[in-house]
Amino acid sequence: MKILVFAQIRDDKIEENTLGILNKVNEVFKDSEISASLFGSNIKEEWIKQLGVHGAKKVYTIDVPELEYYLSRPNVKALSKVIDEIQPTIIIAAGTVYGEDLLPRVAIRRGVSCAQRITDITKEGEEILFYTPVRDDQAMKVQKITGDIKFVTTRTGAFFVNENPTGEEPEVISVDITFEEKDLLVKHVEIKKAEVTVNLKDAKVIVAGGRGVGGKDQFAILKELASILGGQIGATRACTDMNWVEETYEIGQTGQSVSPDVYIAAGISGAPQHISGIKAKTLIAINTDEGAAIFNYADYGIIGDLHIILPLLKQKISD
Amino acid sequence: MKIIVFIRQIVNPQVKLQGVDYFDTSRISEDDLIINPFDKNALEGALKLKDSESAEVTAICVGGIKPSKAVREAIAMGCNDAVEVVDDNYYLEDPMILAKIYSKIVEKIGDVDLIFTGCEEQSSSSYAVPAMLAELLDIPSVLYAEEIEKTVDRFRISHVLEGGRKIVEMPMRGLISCTDSQYFVPRYTSMRGILTSKRAQIPQWSNEDLKLDEATVCENAASLTVSSFSNIVIEKDSYILKEEEPDEMVDKLLAKLKEDNIKLGV
Ligand SMILES: Cc1cc2nc3c(=O)[nH]c(=O)nc-3n(C[C@H](O)[C@H](O)[C@H](O)COP(=O)(O)OP(=O)(O)OC[C@H]3O[C@@H](n4cnc5c(N)ncnc54)[C@H](O)[C@@H]3O)c2cc1C
Ligand SMILES: Nc1ncnc2c1ncn2[C@@H]1O[C@H](COP(=O)(O)O)[C@@H](O)[C@H]1O
Repeated sequence: MKILVFAQIRDDKIEENTLGILNKVNEVFKDSEISASLFGSNIKEEWIKQLGVHGAKKVYTIDVPELEYYLSRPNVKALSKVIDEIQPTIIIAAGTVYGEDLLPRVAIRRGVSCAQRITDITKEGEEILFYTPVRDDQAMKVQKITGDIKFVTTRTGAFFVNENPTGEEPEVISVDITFEEKDLLVKHVEIKKAEVTVNLKDAKVIVAGGRGVGGKDQFAILKELASILGGQIGATRACTDMNWVEETYEIGQTGQSVSPDVYIAAGISGAPQHISGIKAKTLIAINTDEGAAIFNYADYGIIGDLHIILPLLKQKISD
Repeated sequence: MKIIVFIRQIVNPQVKLQGVDYFDTSRISEDDLIINPFDKNALEGALKLKDSESAEVTAICVGGIKPSKAVREAIAMGCNDAVEVVDDNYYLEDPMILAKIYSKIVEKIGDVDLIFTGCEEQSSSSYAVPAMLAELLDIPSVLYAEEIEKTVDRFRISHVLEGGRKIVEMPMRGLISCTDSQYFVPRYTSMRGILTSKRAQIPQWSNEDLKLDEATVCENAASLTVSSFSNIVIEKDSYILKEEEPDEMVDKLLAKLKEDNIKLGV
C-alpha cells in the first residue's frame, strides 16, 4: 500500500503535526511505502531531510513562486498532480487551516469524500477505521471510507512526534506544474502575525481570559494575578481577534499548546478549538454561565463574575 | 446581489446525550434545537451585505428534526426568504453527498452571487462541506473568514491562520465560510422580524423538486460512512461553587485547593 503525507511548513520549519503523522502511519501501516509532498517557493534541503528522518521514503517537491503562500486552487492542482503520479491509497494531512481546506477539495474532484479531524486510525485486516470526536468531544464517530483512495486529515496535536527517528535521506522527485489565470482568482495579500513572541509551553501557571474579560484594560487584573503566581497570561482567539492582547498569547488549535500545572480560565466558554490546546494538571474555571462547556473540563470552578472573583483571589493570595 | 446561506439545525451541544443512544432523538425537545452557531455567524455575514449592498438573502436548511424552526429564525433575523429541503432518501452524513445536494440547490435557485456557510457544524460535523461545495461549483472560495471588507470590485477577507491571520482577495462571486469572530457576531431577531417570519410562506423541497439521481445521493452512494457512534464520558469529579457570596466562594476554593495539595503559585 502507498501512503502520501501532505507536508506543511510553519514558521520556516516542517510543521510538527506532519512529523507526528509520519510517525503514526509508519506505526499503523508497517509494510507500506510512505511518501511526502512538499510545496513552496525556495524549498529548503533541511526540510526534505527532516521528512526522510521521520519516515518518508520519497519526497515529491513542487518549487514554484505561485506556491510561496498557501492558496486553495494552486494547491489542489499541485496535490492532484502528485497523486496522479503515485496513485496512493491514503492521502493524509495535518488538520491545520490549510490541511482542512485542501484535502476535501482534492477528494471531491476524484468523486470521493474525506474524513476530517481524526484522532486515531486503526487497521484490522483489510479494514481501516478513522476516529473523529464530535459534538464538542462528547462522542466519538468511527468512520469507514469506501473505495481505493482515502483522504484523511488529523486533528492537530493528535499524534506524537518520534523523538528518536531513524529514517534515512529520502529520494527526491521534483514535479513540474503550470498555472492558469483561473487557478489564481483568489490572491494572497498578507499574513499578520504577532510581533512579540512569548513561549507559554513552559509556563507552570496560566491565567487565561476570554471574551468575558470585556476589554483591553480589563486584562490588567489577569496580568497582576499571573505575576503574583509566577505565571503567564493566556487568551482565547476572541480576545486576540479584538486586539485586547497580542496574538502570541492565543491558546488552542491555532494558538499555542500549553501544559501548565494550573490553568485558570476566566470568562472562557470552552470552545473545542480552545480546549484542544490545553493539557493542564488542574483547570479552574470562572464563568457566569453555569451551562458553559468549560465546566465539563474544570476540576474546580466558581460560577460568578470574573471582575469580582479575580480581584478577591488576588487579594487573598497576596495576604 | 443574490446570497444563499446554508444553515443546519442541530441539537444544542449543551444538551448532554450521554448514556442515551446517540440517534435516539425522541428525548429532544424543540427548545434543544438550535441553528448551528457558526451558521448564525454566516447569516450575520450575509445580512451585513443585505444592509450595505441591498443583497437578497435566502436561507436553506437541509434535513433537521424541525427545520421550520431554524428557517423561521433566519427570516426573523432578516433573511428575505428561506427554503426547507427534506427527503428521507438523502444520506446526510457524507459531506460529498451534502455538497452534491447543495450544488443542485444553488443551480435551481439560479444566478447566485455568493454562498455563505458556517465554517463547521458542531454536531456530527464532517468539517468538509464548504470546501467540497466550492469545488463542485468550481467557484472561488475563502474558508474560516473572520472579517470581510468590500473594495471596489472584490472582497478583501481576513481568515484564521495558525499564529495569526491571513488576508486574501476574492472576486465578488464565490463562497465564504464564517467563524465566530467579532465581525460575525449574530444580530438578535427583531419584533418586526418575528412577525414577518410568522407570516412567511416557506417552500419545502424534496427530490421531486431537485431531481437529483437518487442513486448518487442515497446511503449506497456514500464514500464516507459512519460505522459507530459512542459517547466519550467526561465524568469529572469537579468542585464547582455557585450561588454564594463571592468572598465565601473564593475562601472555599482556596481552602479546597490547599486540602487537595494543589499549589496555585510557583
Ligand atoms: C479554525 C478555527 C480555529 C480556532 N482556533 C482557536 C484557538 O486556537 N484558540 C481559541 O481560543 N479559539 C479558537 N477559535 C475560536 C473559538 O471558536 C471560539 O470563538 C473562542 O475560543 C471563544 O472564545 P471565548 O471563550 O473567549 O468567547 P465566548 O465563547 O464568547 O465565551 C465568553 C464566556 O465568558 C463568559 N462571561 C461573560 N462575562 C463574564 C463575566 N463577567 N465573568 C465571567 N464569565 C463571563 C460567558 O458566559 C461565556 O461563557 C478558533 C475558531 C476557528 C473557526
Ligand atoms: N444539512 C445542512 N443544511 C444546511 N447547511 C448545512 C447542512 N450541513 C452542513 N451545512 C453547512 O455546511 C457547514 C459546514 O458543515 P460541516 O462541513 O459538516 O462541518 C455548516 O456550518 C453549514 O453552513
